[in-house]
Amino acid sequence: MKKIFLIFMIAFTAQVSLAQVKSIKGVITDSDGMPLPGASVAVQGGQKGATTDFDGLYTIEAQKGQTLVFTYVGLETQNILVGDATTINVKMGQAASNALNEVVVTSLGLKKTRKSLTYAAQELKGEELTRVRDANVINTIAGKIAGVAVTKSSGGTGGSTKVVIRGNSSVSNSQPLYVIDGIPMLNSGAGQPNDSFGSLSGGNRDGGDVISLVNPDDYEGMTVLKGAAASVLYGSQGANGVILLSSKKAKSGKANISASSVTTFEEAAYMPKFQTDYIAAPGADETWGAAGKTKDHVKDFFDVGTTQITSVGYSIGSENSSTAFSYANTSATGIVPGNSLKKNNFGIRQTAKFFNDKLIFAANANYTSQTIANKPVNGFYFNPLTGVYLMPRGNDFDYYKNNYEVFNPTRNLMAQNWMTNRDIMQNPYWAINRNKSEDKNDFFNGALSLTYKANNWLSIASRYSYNRVTSVFDKKIYATTQGTLSHTNGRYINENSLSTQRYGDLIATINAKFATDFTFNANIGASITNTLTNDKTILDSGISGGLNVSNWFTLHNFNNNTGNYQTIDSQREVQSVFAATTFGYKDMLFLDLSGRNDWSSTVPDSYFYPSVGLTALISEMTTLPEWINYGKVRGTYAQVGNDIYPFVTNPTYYATPGSSAINPKVGPRPGETLKPELKSEFEFGTEWRMFNNRLGFEISYYNSETKNQYLQVVAPVNDMGYDFFGINAGSIENKGFEVVLTGGIIRGDKFSWDTTVNFSQNKNKVKEIPTELGGRVNLTEAGVNSYRYALVEGKPYGVIEGINFKKDDQGRILLNDDGTIQKTEFEEVGNSNPDFMLGWSNSFKFGSFFANVLIDGRFGGDVMSLTEAQNDSFGVSKATGDARNAGGVAINAVRASDGTAVTTMDAKSYYTQVGGRAGITGEYVYDATNVSVREVSIGYNFSPKNLPFIQSASISLIARNLFFIYKDAPFDPNIALSTGQGLQGVDIYGLPSTRSIGLNLNVTF
Amino acid sequence: MKLNKITKAAICISLLSAFGCTDNFEEINTNDQGITPELLEQDFNHIKQGFGPIFNNIQVITANFEWVYQLQQNLNSDIWSGYMATPTGFAGGINNTTYSLVDGWNGFIWEYAYKNVMYNAVHIEDLSKGKFDQFYALSLILKVEGMHRLTDTFGPIIYSKYGELSPTEYDSQEEVYNQFFNELDIAVADLTQRVDDGDTGESTFKSTDLSGYKGKYKQWVKFANTLRLRLAMRIVKANPALAKIEAEKAVAHKFGVMQSNGDLFKIVSPVFTNPLATISGSWLDIRMGADMESIMGGYEDPRLEGYFDTSSQYPGEYKGVRTGIDIAAKADHQNFSGIGAPGKSNEIVLMTAAEAYFLRAEGALRGWDMGGDAKSLYEQGITVSFGQRDASGVVGYIADNVKTAKAYVDPKFPVNNSPAVNNVTVAWDEAATNEVKLQKIITQKWIAGFPEGQEAWSDYRRTGYPKLFPVLKNYSGGTISTELGVRRINFVQSEKDGNQGGVDSGIAKLGGSDNGGTRLWWDVDAPNF
Repeated sequence: MKKIFLIFMIAFTAQVSLAQVKSIKGVITDSDGMPLPGASVAVQGGQKGATTDFDGLYTIEAQKGQTLVFTYVGLETQNILVGDATTINVKMGQAASNALNEVVVTSLGLKKTRKSLTYAAQELKGEELTRVRDANVINTIAGKIAGVAVTKSSGGTGGSTKVVIRGNSSVSNSQPLYVIDGIPMLNSGAGQPNDSFGSLSGGNRDGGDVISLVNPDDYEGMTVLKGAAASVLYGSQGANGVILLSSKKAKSGKANISASSVTTFEEAAYMPKFQTDYIAAPGADETWGAAGKTKDHVKDFFDVGTTQITSVGYSIGSENSSTAFSYANTSATGIVPGNSLKKNNFGIRQTAKFFNDKLIFAANANYTSQTIANKPVNGFYFNPLTGVYLMPRGNDFDYYKNNYEVFNPTRNLMAQNWMTNRDIMQNPYWAINRNKSEDKNDFFNGALSLTYKANNWLSIASRYSYNRVTSVFDKKIYATTQGTLSHTNGRYINENSLSTQRYGDLIATINAKFATDFTFNANIGASITNTLTNDKTILDSGISGGLNVSNWFTLHNFNNNTGNYQTIDSQREVQSVFAATTFGYKDMLFLDLSGRNDWSSTVPDSYFYPSVGLTALISEMTTLPEWINYGKVRGTYAQVGNDIYPFVTNPTYYATPGSSAINPKVGPRPGETLKPELKSEFEFGTEWRMFNNRLGFEISYYNSETKNQYLQVVAPVNDMGYDFFGINAGSIENKGFEVVLTGGIIRGDKFSWDTTVNFSQNKNKVKEIPTELGGRVNLTEAGVNSYRYALVEGKPYGVIEGINFKKDDQGRILLNDDGTIQKTEFEEVGNSNPDFMLGWSNSFKFGSFFANVLIDGRFGGDVMSLTEAQNDSFGVSKATGDARNAGGVAINAVRASDGTAVTTMDAKSYYTQVGGRAGITGEYVYDATNVSVREVSIGYNFSPKNLPFIQSASISLIARNLFFIYKDAPFDPNIALSTGQGLQGVDIYGLPSTRSIGLNLNVTF
Repeated sequence: MKLNKITKAAICISLLSAFGCTDNFEEINTNDQGITPELLEQDFNHIKQGFGPIFNNIQVITANFEWVYQLQQNLNSDIWSGYMATPTGFAGGINNTTYSLVDGWNGFIWEYAYKNVMYNAVHIEDLSKGKFDQFYALSLILKVEGMHRLTDTFGPIIYSKYGELSPTEYDSQEEVYNQFFNELDIAVADLTQRVDDGDTGESTFKSTDLSGYKGKYKQWVKFANTLRLRLAMRIVKANPALAKIEAEKAVAHKFGVMQSNGDLFKIVSPVFTNPLATISGSWLDIRMGADMESIMGGYEDPRLEGYFDTSSQYPGEYKGVRTGIDIAAKADHQNFSGIGAPGKSNEIVLMTAAEAYFLRAEGALRGWDMGGDAKSLYEQGITVSFGQRDASGVVGYIADNVKTAKAYVDPKFPVNNSPAVNNVTVAWDEAATNEVKLQKIITQKWIAGFPEGQEAWSDYRRTGYPKLFPVLKNYSGGTISTELGVRRINFVQSEKDGNQGGVDSGIAKLGGSDNGGTRLWWDVDAPNF
């Protein structure tokens, strides 16, 4: 097959290239026979050189007797003596010492050899991002990078994702920085929910993020810089790690058209279980009535969701310029009826070279437009799922589906039709059709860059980028929506939010060699970042205010102005100077020194932070056994400063709706100057490759502490009227191991099996919270529910708190004489942090067939389900049905007054006390450990021979979240209600996790 | 430093920045949507802005925050006073109404009082004391009005030590009451002086005043005097001597206490709706109490039809719901009588003029100099109340010595039925015992005060009147007596989390267990006379 392909290639190339007598030409291919574009050919000792075009074709002038040197990053260099032949085809194998040649994209988009890195950086190839596609590209990295925890929001398709690298280190934000071609991207969303009950402002909704809007097809790979050292050059923004995306570059010489089409089908998986044996008493909201068979209507409620992603790309390059264009269209429907998404991505990238290639100009622009209808919400308000799950059994769900509104003659309008008037459970179809919401996002990212190669050791580059994100949330709430949620004439909410980022930099790059043994690399530069996030105008006719004319959704139909306001989340500018240097000795010892000074508008004083790192290539320094190809040890110490929330040092008076108080919410404590947070991190690591690079491993240990956390404490009465003082206090520690193990288990001609294991363990500890805060910061307040999420001194980040049974010394539940259960006050019932994470990816090749399987495991940690608790208290859960069938709940309890043992309790009495969102929630805590088959793809590469005009084509069957190998919780613990800091480790009527299966088609012309 | 400047200059030049340099950092770091402190000082807005949150949070009457009012007052004192009842079986029916006190609800009583009332009152004091004392005086009256509700709910509270760092010590209720009286002294003296000097107050405070007083200092003094009278009567069993002194001081003041319905203290909410309108009208979470049906129904009280809507389930009837019953379905009782005009009005009355008369009537009964005898003050109280509610037939009503409360009948669940328990007539009987006279006064005060459950619950605890139907379900775990009802609310979770030391001091000063059965300082377990 491969030979046929080769011949085909040669035949093909022969047609396009006219023979020239004095030149040598040929095709450079990899070990599989695939052409290698961009490989270098040079005449040894000479000036001449050439690179291959997209088809792997090269042409070079040479004389007989000279030696041609063929090189390609990652492959073994070959020297071939020129003979009589004018065609030399080269097949390049995996380099025996490829680790020495690997190039890694690092901070600011600068390329560095992997061997010289003093810190951990892990890469993903572009195909990893597109093989088993997700509408949000970042969801595809789950399990593929050690130390990176990926948690999806419950906002369904188009929702945001929480990415935490090496543990939560900050009270305010733990998300990494996304960087595209060296330029930081603004990853601002319109906000995250943090209310365990649900928001009256349209429900607990996911405000989205920007990374979910990018087109994965535009990128050829991703590098994750995990530690502080790696990200020191990004300063504040990089304090939580950096994820770098590299754009696909047009290949010189040939037009290239690629197209792909992915269709997946999603089904709701891992839903709660319901009873079908009992019905509700007439008129009751809760299903605690007589026995009576019912139908489980919940499954039928969910649709099969579909996602169709079509993407096309076109690129053409010449010696001096290149152009690439891409377009992608995503069209999806969710598992909840009425939920759909439409997304269009446009991208264009242009490069040009001037003055003998000394000046390189590049420009790119990306635009994304996305519209989501009825983005799923969680919590109790505006959530159709509560009505579906909790509907009093014995009612005909289908009747209410088909008649969610009926004519009301008194009002002469169509009114909601539902058997009860409860804010937490409307008719789900009314919620879908008559509380309709629309989220619109537009994202523009434009960048210009100019690079000037002054001479062979100095180049100067300057870049400028502009990001603009607008989000619109529009919700039309019709008259007769439940009264807690809406005015009797209906309610209209329209939120507009704008975020922008302007970034500019100027960087000089120096590459010098002193003598033969010493090399010196330096990047010295300055940058400016100006960010505005969520400049919002919120129009809300309100619940008591409402609309004048029913169901006329526009501003001038508002009864009053109290719900309308403008607000800005943040506005800041950071100016920086930085320098990063690498001293190399004999290509075996590298010393990194870097430093950065930031001036941030949010803190009064500028701040400096350094990093130092050292790498030694043991395999170069000493003679190791032959089976060891590569060995390296590295160590680094770095600090990163993180400026604080803006406006704090310059407070103004402001009033929010719902409060008539005009006062600054927060200001500095008198006599104190606010400082940036400071993260310090040690990291040690070692990397080895052996057995012809068939086996490789990398181990990193890190220990970081983030001090001077910005916290707010309730202010005593003060002149300015601050509610809170912003202070620097508190400290959070993270330490852990990461192991990356790669193995080429089988490397046969016909069959190969490659595997990668990513292991990471993070131990997190909140070392200090000031006493004014009582040693705790509540990230999510309990409100009226028995769930609270807090930072507690001495505990890992993110303690889940709830209420437990009060028990005696023998572990028996204490009961009162009136039959009620004694319960504790709020106490720790779990922790959201996993003990360790394990990802195991495998790729198989068998002839033209290929298969990939990713197993993703998260071990330890806890989650709470208020969904189960509430389903129990409403008597709809399977547990309550089983208990009633069994004649009660078996308990180990004792009457506190007289010591009478109680072994069974009436099901209703038990579940109404223990269940419920405000019940004994310690009983609804589950082990978050889960192991899932995260990604599977099985496909076939077509032979181009059989497909005229086509360079490559493949088809594959793909599956995501296929099934859990192990799971304790009644829902998918990898989904969070918020991708912010709060509402973690809990499910409150979140959208069920989906299993998706589909087909992926790729063609390149 | 110099080097710093050089570097800064270097960046600016090197970037040829279009954004300027760090010179505009202050501008960038300022929220455009806010107002600067300098601008806010115009019109004394920096001081006046603190009044709004106090007015709006004595009872939480903020749009979209009806649920806070529900937790702050509606699901506790509005129900424990017998005024109202809920048809909803919150938390499986095991909640405040069945004496299982719900921490997750009751925390809002504390939180909103401190966050809004106390915080702003003390902030106004900081900005105005010694400089603009009229604001200080007004803030003190509002602070006492707001915070006496809190101590009457919990007992010891943070008061004199407010603003100190954790652990913040609690004051005993006696200490708190002594401060109330002192603060009213300061306020009354200052405002009286201003009136004497010819300053009515309208030009200064009218635009800020969300009460019905339109900024008039004289009206505020009358309110302060009546508030003093209320607080004096509250402590009559704990410190009778001080009670007499303070009560007589209030009545003897030259502006006196409230006399006509124009004097009553209300929050006029121009924008927001009454939370009861939402909770009763829209959520159907609160209904007429069975005690209201029994007592007002028994009297055929002409005010009844203004107080409640007729039941949509039993057209033409005023049907109340009994508190503390077994609730199988909300639908069973949700269409009983909803709250009428007082719950729908945008004027929320926190103290009626009738109350002043009933307080004076009780004072006269106790032999204090109240400027009248008990009978006439009692009857004036009823008359003023009829006037306030636009009800007719007051003469016949006052003279009625036949009708008493009627038995309560739950048309769906006879298990909830009860014979009448508050068996007094309306007509004054000079020959009756003081105890019966007091029962009549408090019964009429109770009717007149509707729907302000907080004060009615306090009176019920102090006097035991009017007699209310006991709960049928008591899930207090033995801490609260079915016969005596809830005496207080236990300290809140947020304080236990953030100020355990303070809570410990509060428990020590409470002198009993931190539960709903422990009596407060003024709630002395002794006869009324």
